[in-house]
Amino acid sequence: MKMKKALGLLLAGTMVLSLVACGGSGDGGSSDGGDSKEEAKSDGGSTLKVAAVETAYGASMWEKVCEAFEASHDGVTVELTIDKKLEDVIDPDMKAGNFPDVILRAVGGEKALTETFVKDNNLTELTDVLDMTVPGEDVKVGDKILPGFTENTIVNPYGDGKTYLMPMFYGPCGLFYNAALLKEKGWEVPETWDEMWELGDKAKAEGIALFTYPTTGYFDAFFYALLHEALGEENFAKALKYEEGIWNTPEAQQVFDVIAKLASYTEKTTPANANDNDFQKNQQLVLDNKAIFMPNGNWVIGEMAEAPRAEGFEWGFTALPAVEEGGERASYSFFEQVWMPKEAVNVDLGKEFIAYLYSDEAAEIFATEGGAVQPIAGMTDKLSGDAVTYYQIYDTGAVAVLDAFATTEPVEGLTTRGAFFDPVNSLVTGDKTQEQWVKEFAEASDAFRGALKE
Amino acid sequence: MGSNKGRGRFIFCCLAPAAILFVIFMIYPTIEVFRMSMYKWGGYTANKTFVGLQNFQTLFKSDKFYQSFQNTILLIIIVTIFTFAFALVFAAILTREKIKGQNFFRIIFYIPNILSVVVISAIFSAIYDPNQGLMNSFLNLFRGPAGAEDPILWLGSQKLVIYSIVIAMIWQAIGYYMVMYMASMANVPESLYESAGLEGAGRVKQFFSITLPLIWTNIRTTLTFFIISTINMSFLFVKAMTNGGPDGASHVFLSYMYQEAYTNSSYGYGMAIGAVVFIFSFALAGVLNAVTKREEIEF
Repeated sequence: MKMKKALGLLLAGTMVLSLVACGGSGDGGSSDGGDSKEEAKSDGGSTLKVAAVETAYGASMWEKVCEAFEASHDGVTVELTIDKKLEDVIDPDMKAGNFPDVILRAVGGEKALTETFVKDNNLTELTDVLDMTVPGEDVKVGDKILPGFTENTIVNPYGDGKTYLMPMFYGPCGLFYNAALLKEKGWEVPETWDEMWELGDKAKAEGIALFTYPTTGYFDAFFYALLHEALGEENFAKALKYEEGIWNTPEAQQVFDVIAKLASYTEKTTPANANDNDFQKNQQLVLDNKAIFMPNGNWVIGEMAEAPRAEGFEWGFTALPAVEEGGERASYSFFEQVWMPKEAVNVDLGKEFIAYLYSDEAAEIFATEGGAVQPIAGMTDKLSGDAVTYYQIYDTGAVAVLDAFATTEPVEGLTTRGAFFDPVNSLVTGDKTQEQWVKEFAEASDAFRGALKE
Repeated sequence: MGSNKGRGRFIFCCLAPAAILFVIFMIYPTIEVFRMSMYKWGGYTANKTFVGLQNFQTLFKSDKFYQSFQNTILLIIIVTIFTFAFALVFAAILTREKIKGQNFFRIIFYIPNILSVVVISAIFSAIYDPNQGLMNSFLNLFRGPAGAEDPILWLGSQKLVIYSIVIAMIWQAIGYYMVMYMASMANVPESLYESAGLEGAGRVKQFFSITLPLIWTNIRTTLTFFIISTINMSFLFVKAMTNGGPDGASHVFLSYMYQEAYTNSSYGYGMAIGAVVFIFSFALAGVLNAVTKREEIEF
């Protein structure tokens, strides 16, 4: 009897102990963060932690670039984390205090990783990287990068002339269409929005819709370009800072008119598939000659590579039509960003790594291995095939628009996409009128203005 | 006396593991949610600012929150009523009646439970497809040429989208509850039905006077399940089918919370929503429990 009791006690005891041990190690994990940081520091910073999101460009180009960096820097090891769901992979570690040194993730990702760091003022300033010499070359980083890419609200988020994010792979966004269809029908690619509406009526008579969009998220690039066309550089910059009354100007009104009219020319079933799971069905409308134009970026070609298509289908790409005859035509340049969290341990090595990303060697690997184009002068000359068409767009007179809405403190319950672009779905289905949308738009803009970063 | 002390220690040691686990994994996180709801925090970095109840103030002024609240309540009510009714009727038929292929039907009804929500969402997205979907193709038989010209946008219309999700959720849930009801119905002694039959009670009368009262405890339990699972499952369905769209029309509690906490850099605000959901579901379950309290009938 006694034996049994003792045995029971012993068993219970071990259970408690093992639990305590479990709890202990869990706690230890989070407090350990500080220690491992120290370790890395005392190591002389020879291990660089790089985290990059895996996009359509693939993972291998990053692996090769990291290898090449290791080869050119003695005693340096690059620990690369690359994943399609990068946030989910690095978040637990970050919560425990272990931050990657260098992160490649563009603003606009679903989990708003980059935005959160920007809004929280948690970035390492990278202005000095622009003055660094590219490793292995004798050019300064800032001189190699194409103009415009380092002077915009995305990379200088606080408007103080300091650079916190560095521009990486870019691609023009604009309207994609089936070039073969237009050729077959003898239709011209419209150069003004008026011509666009004419084409819309002609197409309607043949049962083809003028426009579709994958999801409302694609309207941001579209909107910036259109806004630039209508408002001009100066007011465009003001609008991005949510200036009071800017949305009541006749120029801004033009932008709203174009989008509302476009909504009336949009393929009817578009809103039903305009979500993250079914958006390819909307893209398929273009491949099937059921709709002519859609706003998109050059990744769509890879995305739809396996999809069935109308006979003779051929991708066409154009900048946005001008608001008035002979007016500016714009195309938004989407680009990714690389940046360092404030908590980065190997700051100097991280900056060296970023500078290296602009070297000819790295750019070559990115371009050949993944088809990713760095915003480096002369890169477009090295392109071949389809890619030429897209990057050429700026050579043929289209204005490149690079900016985005200014950074604000988080506004609870309000996102730019939710307030500005999601209502396009409602415009198409008729659940909202243009007036309602513009009113909501202006109200949201007021709220964002109140939360602007000083 | 000495042995009593030892006994107490023994009981303590036996209970401790479970109690500690419960505190670490249930109590502590719950308290954390309430604590975090009073901060302005992005979620990734260490910058946290204490803002008191400000998140709740914003929340109760937000139209979007009320819309998601409305959607959630609508789902809880409609999904519960329909699932409950169907599951009960199917369970009664499958246990009480002698029909061919009983086991076959039981399996068929239960299959949706084995499928993951993502798969179900994909199935229903295909069914709801405006052009090739089963739903519209079927309705077009009656609508004629108007159907092809003006397809019904099950997931694209703001008025319909929440009902489209209701249908998918009911389809998914019936089997599970049916099996639960069947288990307790099988325990009802056959003799009760026999004597009721001799007294001249029909099938329907038997169902309401014997079956229903005798499985009442089980029904009460499942009502709580309905609330919790509808709140949880609706998030999965919304996330996989519409992501809150079009224009935020299909947001439910948790999808709105997810959007704020994880995509709008407002983690603290998200936790405030979480706190409200927690209190709401607790209160609702409590009310339901109180309302459905009956004297237990033994058999």
